[in-house]
Amino acid sequence: MRVERRITLNTDRDTVWKVLGDPDCYPSLLPHLERWETTTEGPARVGSRYTVLWKIGSIPVGGIAEVVEFDEARDLAWINITGVTQRGRFRLRDAGPGRTTVTFRLAYHSDGGLLGLIADRIAARQVGRSLSESLKNLQHLVES
Amino acid sequence: MTGVADILDWTRQQVIARVPKADLDQRDPDYIRDQLPGLWMLASLYFRADVRGLDRIPAHRPVLLVGNHSGGNVPPDTFVFTLAFCSYFGVERPFYQLVHNLVAVYPMLGWLRKFGTVAASPENARLALESGAAVLVYPGGDYEVYRPSWQRHVVDLGGRTGFVRLARETAVPIVPVASVGGQETALFLGRGRWLARLLMLDKVLRLKSVPISVALPWGVNITDWLGHIPLPAKIVIEVQEPIEVTHDDQAVYDEVVASLQAGVNRLAAERRFPVIG
Repeated sequence: MRVERRITLNTDRDTVWKVLGDPDCYPSLLPHLERWETTTEGPARVGSRYTVLWKIGSIPVGGIAEVVEFDEARDLAWINITGVTQRGRFRLRDAGPGRTTVTFRLAYHSDGGLLGLIADRIAARQVGRSLSESLKNLQHLVES
Repeated sequence: MTGVADILDWTRQQVIARVPKADLDQRDPDYIRDQLPGLWMLASLYFRADVRGLDRIPAHRPVLLVGNHSGGNVPPDTFVFTLAFCSYFGVERPFYQLVHNLVAVYPMLGWLRKFGTVAASPENARLALESGAAVLVYPGGDYEVYRPSWQRHVVDLGGRTGFVRLARETAVPIVPVASVGGQETALFLGRGRWLARLLMLDKVLRLKSVPISVALPWGVNITDWLGHIPLPAKIVIEVQEPIEVTHDDQAVYDEVVASLQAGVNRLAAERRFPVIG
């Protein structure tokens, strides 16, 4: 299942990257976060790991995420190495002078065959809402 | 009378002989992963469950999770909490649930062992804790789970203090897990302890109760041995602060019960209607 939300912000990419490139900011960015722990030391880079759990439905869902792409002011991508199979990405692109389009993309897949597929589809609405709220929080952080 | 006593003793030995010795290797994380989506839908859509305070569970050491038990032979609190624990800490963290002997030997429930379910005995619990696992136990067991529905917010572990001794001997903290909603999944009318004594099931099967309830699809349901279809009651679970076993057994027992009762009272105060929540 792939869910994607997009927003255009009235600020340049470097300003947006100051927030998105620093995962320590994510607890104030991502809604319904139940658990956020940095499991590796030092600044964010390829290979950094975080325990991330969102409350989806009745329980926290997620696992240990590892950063797999860290392209400054352009892309930050991660995959889950435990928990629900997941691939996420923040994608920053110019949208005219002093403006940036941010795409927040999450592709996930639950085990369990048909039940997993149904669960993924049911969760998609809430996941979509969480992505939208995240982008609104980002807008509030960088434009205020 | 000697003949009857012999038959009872023989039957008891037969049941005990069939209780499988805990084999911790039967727990299968991949199997649990496969089941989580189905359980997630059941918990989220049917029971509209809400699990709180999982961050209070020590993350890197063995721990004894002690809950109040509800819901007869189909207790939703157990599977909702198991789902939440496995999602929060990952299926990789060893986690075992202690169940009544009869559940452990019930032929159609063999798959529960893949979830980490083992027969409730001090030996099995010690084995699991000493291996570094988290263990979930409901000391009230068959006594508490059949209390009348009008006592649904009363924590009653029946004075069973064995779990405190276990925690002391294995040097693990006790984490109380309070839940509400399970006793609203059917109308439980009473434990039927008089019936258990009359049928001598207390001696043969360690069953202190032969519960009487009104439940789907049976209507009047006696014993609940075949289970029932639970009503979609809202299940809310809250993990309480850990308790270190530093003082005498009775004091720790009282502290655990007080913690559970306080948690249940808090959650019950949020409920406006039975079943709906």
